[in-house]
Amino acid sequence: MMPSLSPRTELAIRFRHAAGDHVAALEVSSDGKLVYVGLGDGSLLSLELATGRERFRVVAHEGGVLGVSVSRDGTRIATCGQSAHARVFDENGQLTATLTPVPGKNAWVEHVRWNPAGTRLAISAGRAVRVFDRDGVSDFEFSAFESTVTGLAWRADGSGLAASCYGGVRVFPFVGNAKPRHLTWKGSLISLAWSPDAKIVACASQDCGIHFWRIASEQGSEISGYRFKPRSIAWDHESKLLATAGDASVLLWDFRGKGPEGSTPMELDAHKGLCTRLAFAPKRGLLLSGSQDTSVLLWEPRRSRQPLRFGFLSDEITALAWEPGERGVVAADASGTVMVLDLPEKL
Amino acid sequence: MAKIPVTVLTGFLGAGKTTLLNRILTEQHGQRIAVVENEFGEIGIDQALVINADEEVFEMNNGCICCTVRGDLIRILGNLMKRRDKFDRILVETTGMADPGPVAQTFFMDDEVRDLFTLDGVITLVDARHAHLHLDDSKECREQIAFADVLVLNKTDLVSGDELKALERRVTGMNAMAKVLHSAHAQVPLAEVLDVGGFDLERALETKPTFLEPEYPFEWGGTLSVEPGVLEFVLHEGPDPSMDILILDADDSVDETEHAERARRVWAEDAVIVAPGQVIDGSKPQRTTLDLETLTNGVARFELRFARAGRVRIYTQHLPNEFDASFVRGGKPLVPVVEREFQANHTHDEEVTSVGIHTDRAVNLELFHKFMSRILREQGKDIFRTKGILSVAGSDNRFVFQAVHMLFDATEDLPWGNTPRGSDVVFIGRHLDREALNRDFEACLA
Repeated sequence: MMPSLSPRTELAIRFRHAAGDHVAALEVSSDGKLVYVGLGDGSLLSLELATGRERFRVVAHEGGVLGVSVSRDGTRIATCGQSAHARVFDENGQLTATLTPVPGKNAWVEHVRWNPAGTRLAISAGRAVRVFDRDGVSDFEFSAFESTVTGLAWRADGSGLAASCYGGVRVFPFVGNAKPRHLTWKGSLISLAWSPDAKIVACASQDCGIHFWRIASEQGSEISGYRFKPRSIAWDHESKLLATAGDASVLLWDFRGKGPEGSTPMELDAHKGLCTRLAFAPKRGLLLSGSQDTSVLLWEPRRSRQPLRFGFLSDEITALAWEPGERGVVAADASGTVMVLDLPEKL
Repeated sequence: MAKIPVTVLTGFLGAGKTTLLNRILTEQHGQRIAVVENEFGEIGIDQALVINADEEVFEMNNGCICCTVRGDLIRILGNLMKRRDKFDRILVETTGMADPGPVAQTFFMDDEVRDLFTLDGVITLVDARHAHLHLDDSKECREQIAFADVLVLNKTDLVSGDELKALERRVTGMNAMAKVLHSAHAQVPLAEVLDVGGFDLERALETKPTFLEPEYPFEWGGTLSVEPGVLEFVLHEGPDPSMDILILDADDSVDETEHAERARRVWAEDAVIVAPGQVIDGSKPQRTTLDLETLTNGVARFELRFARAGRVRIYTQHLPNEFDASFVRGGKPLVPVVEREFQANHTHDEEVTSVGIHTDRAVNLELFHKFMSRILREQGKDIFRTKGILSVAGSDNRFVFQAVHMLFDATEDLPWGNTPRGSDVVFIGRHLDREALNRDFEACLA
């Protein structure tokens, strides 16, 4: 167990919901009222964050759900999964659109992502990315990726879209006349996280490392030597810290000043199993980490290398999210537990 | 949690992969199977989940050949674990030109795949009719043979018995470890292709009694009763422009194997070359190379001369029937009293071969580890697969290991119990040095 924590530091459980199957993805609506959960049996579930009451549960895909994204106004919930299309539901669970990535191909749609304004929806399947407007009309398509797309992220101001795959990251501008960029690296990238200040794109790699680029100079750097391929990477709200995990401990790289090159990362070491999920708070320097050992830990890395609070679910942690107001966090696991934990006023 | 077995189906386009796949899916009642398909095929089974995906071979660690993996499998297998309907088995159907190396290496290299799945077996389908062509022309085809745990020689109804035998000899010469099945329309018992078990070397030994026998420089030996005078050896055009033979007195005081050992020693000495029509002294224990470069009306005749009556044993480099060869005395064919085939070590001069080593003795594990890491470091690029069961000095348990190129995996297995202890190692690769491997392995014995 965790010797440095006492029972007093356990997070209070607001509610625990048994969703019944592997939670593959979840996202909280921007008004903080609802959480949408994508499950291994293909369902999309909507829960009220205040009470845990189930709003709806619909079958979104024949296979498991792989991704969930909620538009800013909360009226369009996009899902993708182990089927050859993405779907869009309204806040009542009514299907409003079925989107096909590339006609004639039947690769799984593995990523869906609304832009920050909620006006454009990007989806990826196989080697193609397609972008739709709110009415489901496609106005952008790129299908010449070197391999299946592994990560998809909008720039914080919505002016660009980045996608990772084997061999690098492509950045497509959606405002003005800037040219697309191709940030190359000979290796397999498996996820993508764009810093909130839009200056850096970071990716986890199959080679048990992290690769990142400073967009302005297109200069790439590599961090290697993780024990396993990093399962999760996350930026803090100030774009100063990048949290990564390729083992039980969390490594934080400091991007202030000259950056992490040549530096030693801060290590947060309390999980007993592989750390699988990381999520920084949207407005504070608080970090949430989840692990195969079923634990969730809350950290304030700038203040302490000891976790502040903890919680337990019943299986490997597969998803984490913050409430926009940062009063609570949502954690979910591979057995279908969805839990909302309350943060105390004073940590 | 038990790991989910993954069966990989390889084979050239037209070898029958989709037919076999459909058969497995039709017959496997009660098993939930997911199929990852890299080649567009017609899978007519509704209840199976079929995932179409492009083959994506990823280099890792700056492109070392042993660190190439299949990115599509990593992603798909990982995502399949997030479903409610967990699967009992996964089948992967590769394209005809696929290199099985990265597929196998994925099960070593990716920690997530390694934790959840196990590579049950590589099944390679071989089109019996066109295989020789593919084997000659295609590196991929040879590698698919080399990587196989099970070789299904399919479409046997389209070839003669002799052609099939020649093909089997050729592929087993390349991969001595694989189980070989024959089928007409991919009709093979499913128990023979599923649950193969990566470590089942014992079964390989069981099904292949000649597999670890010493290998000889000749493929055939026959005993003939000869009279004083001339015995004609008549050959037609064959796979080689020459054929070596050796005539020794049959010696009833030694058994066949001992006699073959004697022949091997004589064989190692220098040979004389003779042209058709020339005389060969049947009483001289010397290897003779029959020059078949120029045939008369498609036939070459050699005279074997004997001074006295008796029994002789004649060894030939290739099988006589490959040259439609016969012994003729006084215009009538002379049939051998006894004959047998030998495991040859020169099978078609393949670049891909197997080296099997057997000993009843125990090995020193530390020395063996050093030997393996050196050999895989130096030659891992050319060694496709290595498997073995070891009797380790000082341990009651069997020790099993396997390697794919340079990636090595070893575990302590069940106790030996009452089964006789022994160590077996098989290497499959290109340009293997049989003698060096034997010598180096012997140096690891306790």
